[in-house]
Amino acid sequence: MIVLRYIGSRLLFLVPQLIGIVLVGFVLIKAVPGDPATLMLGPMASADSIAKLRGDLGLDQPMPTQFLIYLEKLIRGDFGTSWQTTQPVLSDLRTRFPATLELVTYGLLLALLIAIPLGVFTAATKRRAIRKLGGAYGLIAGALPDFWLALVLVFIFYSQLHWLASPIGRIDLSVVPPDTITGFYTIDSLLTGNWEALVSSVQHLILPVITLGLINAGPILKMTQSTMERMLGSDFSQYERLCGLPRQLIVRHAFRNGLPSIITIVSVLYGFLIGGAVLVEIVFSWGGAGQYAVQGVLNSDFNPVLGFVIFSALFSLIVYLIVDLAYLAIDPRIRH
Amino acid sequence: MALIRQARDEPLSVGSKKPVLETDNLTVSYRPYGLPPVEALRKVNIKIAPGEILGLVGESGAGKTTLAKAIMGVIAKPGVVESGRLLFNGTNLFQLSEEKLNQLRGASISIIVANPRGELNPLLMVGQQLANIARIHMRVSARQARQLALDMLKAVKIPDPVRRFRAYPHELSGGMAQRVVIAAGLICSPQLVISDDATSGLDVTVQAQILDLLKKLARERQTSMLYITRDIGVAANFCDRIAVLYKGEIVEEAPTGAFFEGPSHPYGNLLLAAFSHNSVLRKRWSTELEQLQKRETPALACLFVDRCPLRQGRCWQEHPELRDLTPGRLIRCHYPVLRHRP
Repeated sequence: MIVLRYIGSRLLFLVPQLIGIVLVGFVLIKAVPGDPATLMLGPMASADSIAKLRGDLGLDQPMPTQFLIYLEKLIRGDFGTSWQTTQPVLSDLRTRFPATLELVTYGLLLALLIAIPLGVFTAATKRRAIRKLGGAYGLIAGALPDFWLALVLVFIFYSQLHWLASPIGRIDLSVVPPDTITGFYTIDSLLTGNWEALVSSVQHLILPVITLGLINAGPILKMTQSTMERMLGSDFSQYERLCGLPRQLIVRHAFRNGLPSIITIVSVLYGFLIGGAVLVEIVFSWGGAGQYAVQGVLNSDFNPVLGFVIFSALFSLIVYLIVDLAYLAIDPRIRH
Repeated sequence: MALIRQARDEPLSVGSKKPVLETDNLTVSYRPYGLPPVEALRKVNIKIAPGEILGLVGESGAGKTTLAKAIMGVIAKPGVVESGRLLFNGTNLFQLSEEKLNQLRGASISIIVANPRGELNPLLMVGQQLANIARIHMRVSARQARQLALDMLKAVKIPDPVRRFRAYPHELSGGMAQRVVIAAGLICSPQLVISDDATSGLDVTVQAQILDLLKKLARERQTSMLYITRDIGVAANFCDRIAVLYKGEIVEEAPTGAFFEGPSHPYGNLLLAAFSHNSVLRKRWSTELEQLQKRETPALACLFVDRCPLRQGRCWQEHPELRDLTPGRLIRCHYPVLRHRP
């Protein structure tokens, strides 16, 4: 019951938060120089036709009016149209946002699989050399650019070894993508029993997911290791040792106490990677949301950019809500 | 009170009563990197008989907690056990593997800590923490362990034990958390319980209740105790025998009654006088800080010489050995304070 009320109050705050984000995003994007009308009509267009298009697009209105018009459309579920794709932004994002989300989710899962056991182990071990190894991994993963690692992986596993399909897009051009249910090709193809699509999409996921996983395991490993060291050195762990509890149990208890810090960094990374994975998306021609937004920025195509901002803000807010609920489940002190 | 006071000469092994714990010339030092080592315990010899409560008093920095850690086998770097033996029921604990030690800790030797709310796991129900200890050491089922934990919570007189079983540490008052930690220390009916300044953070009235309870439980279970404290008043009421630790050395050891009738070591007198309301008495035994001799204490001097109001020339040159003063009383002083007994 308390939890439901908590969720309710948080969702109530979601609306003003989103309006604030839209406002700031709108103002900042409009502040970027560049006139879409000029770009849309090309260099040969007459001043008259540009002025007419500006009027049609509402660009001649004062900024507050433009914002209100945008907001009013938004409430009706209209995110505007991208002049580059000539599609409604909403339908573009419906395919592109899940594409990025699928990539980032699997990437983070891999990062967790690498970082958590390694972080716990390097913190719990008594051997200094292994501890140092954990620190070294964090340093290297932090220093390597993700797109560089992506290119190296493509070079080795595609160009040299030919183990994988050509690293372009989410699925082979010759394979029919699965019907959209969640937007995740892997899950949709599983649900519809489209095995050919499953194999192909997994093949295309492998390299970018490994890239994101290896790079993002760095900060998670670092956080896990330092949190675990702190927890294992804390009074309650020392006391459990004095009580003769087995080391495994002490480590498990310490991990549970350190979990909030680890969840925090994972949630921050999750929100960040929606836009932050764009270089990896470009290397693999992923056609995701990040790429979509960057093209929008470069071509003064405002609607996709704003749509991306709203989508990723909403996503981050949902992730943070889930994180808060996780804290609530873990720590009895917060329930009061 | 059936105090077990035994003379040193007919050592604590009267009949079959071998000491539960015996330290044999235990020396522990801290060797911080790049700094000269500091001896925290110097050839400490103590014995605790079954069912006996030995009080260990001394100021902070005397090595009390180091002794507790040494007995629990958790001396951490830069601490090093330099020499000596630590005999528990005749077994040298320093020769046991970490795994074997872990089976003793919490089961045969347990410790009751101060600041219990900081020591308990904040994310686990306190009853569950007790049950964990019971389940692991006594190899009982989870259900039996929970029952044992509940019984123990009742034994330490926690009000509403069924509800408190499900409480988290932050929901307990200091006194209640202290009871939980006592329950944790006693749940496996250990042979030796160490209490390290355990009740010092509590209100005086709560402290008295908890000490009574602790003593009652220890007596019922024939548990020996090493009661470490800075509060000499508490030690007077609680312990069978008193050992005074100063700079890592035992300087005096006596049955409680005899000690409080009149300590023999100048430092023992200083400790008692410090608790006195008589300012003349206090002044007589304490040395003002500015009066402390600035000169370097020679390596062979008595460790207390710079603060001793009774020091003489010999004290600067010759380190006193621990010796029998009267049967059952040990003293490390060339010029002990002697009183005429009525």
